[in-house]
Amino acid sequence: MAEFRLDAMGEACPVPLLRAEKKMKELKVGDILIVEIDHSCAMKNVPEWARKMGHNVELEEIEEGHWEIIIEKTN
Amino acid sequence: MSSSQTTLRTQPRTRPTRQKRNQVGYGLAVIAACAVIGILLGGIKAPLAIKWLFGIAFGFVLQRSRFCFTASLRDPVLTGSTSITRAVIIAFILATIGFSALQIGPYLAGQTVPGNINPVGIHTAVGATMFGIGMVIAGGCASGTLMRMGEGFLLQWLVIIFFVAGSLLGAFHFGWWETHFIASSPNVFLPQVLGYPLAFFGQLVLLGLLYLLALRWEYRKL
Repeated sequence: MAEFRLDAMGEACPVPLLRAEKKMKELKVGDILIVEIDHSCAMKNVPEWARKMGHNVELEEIEEGHWEIIIEKTN
Repeated sequence: MSSSQTTLRTQPRTRPTRQKRNQVGYGLAVIAACAVIGILLGGIKAPLAIKWLFGIAFGFVLQRSRFCFTASLRDPVLTGSTSITRAVIIAFILATIGFSALQIGPYLAGQTVPGNINPVGIHTAVGATMFGIGMVIAGGCASGTLMRMGEGFLLQWLVIIFFVAGSLLGAFHFGWWETHFIASSPNVFLPQVLGYPLAFFGQLVLLGLLYLLALRWEYRKL
């Protein structure tokens, strides 16, 4: 049940998703990945991708224009 | 949307969450500024105010809906997601109906058909390829870049500088393309080639098929 962080601040649209996808492969089931983003487009496509993969997803705006996507690896 | 009780986090946030400022005041100020500028523009020339209003409405919808032409073409390849692709196809269907409503009158009356009906040829493919590569690297097409500039994503401010530079460069050697390719390319208006009913319904059917294809792409390739 480890928690990992991925700093994708300042990265434009496909990059946060691609990095999250890559990082997820290193995680074990039950681990948590927190992706930090400030690109509004990633706020849509990262959770959408993670939900489609069947993971548990949570999106939190921690300040204006700065989000954390919390993904629990379930499979 | 998420409360601290139900969070997936294993440990509580170490950094305190900064108190969010109330933005209603800013919103009202922006609406007031939009109205004032709209009235001023309307005083100069009425169509200017209409363009201003459409521009704002378009930007608002673009921002709220996360509508993105770049993602619509990039995501199917990159992630297999076609939700935005399907949104763009629906927009094309609506645009087809809307433009036809505007064009059918002048067309049947034998007048000049309104709209940008430009010659199609090899230059279209070259330009589309260059634009496609550029927009994926830049993280947005023209409207997406403008929308994200407004959101405050600084990378896009850099992008717009090179967008302008590239457009100037394009305008600079447009003459070369004009003489070599555009002048000899046909100006195709489908209703003239296929007749109005076939062009209109054919385009709708084709877009509908693309929609189904996109749906199939997303749910077969996970």
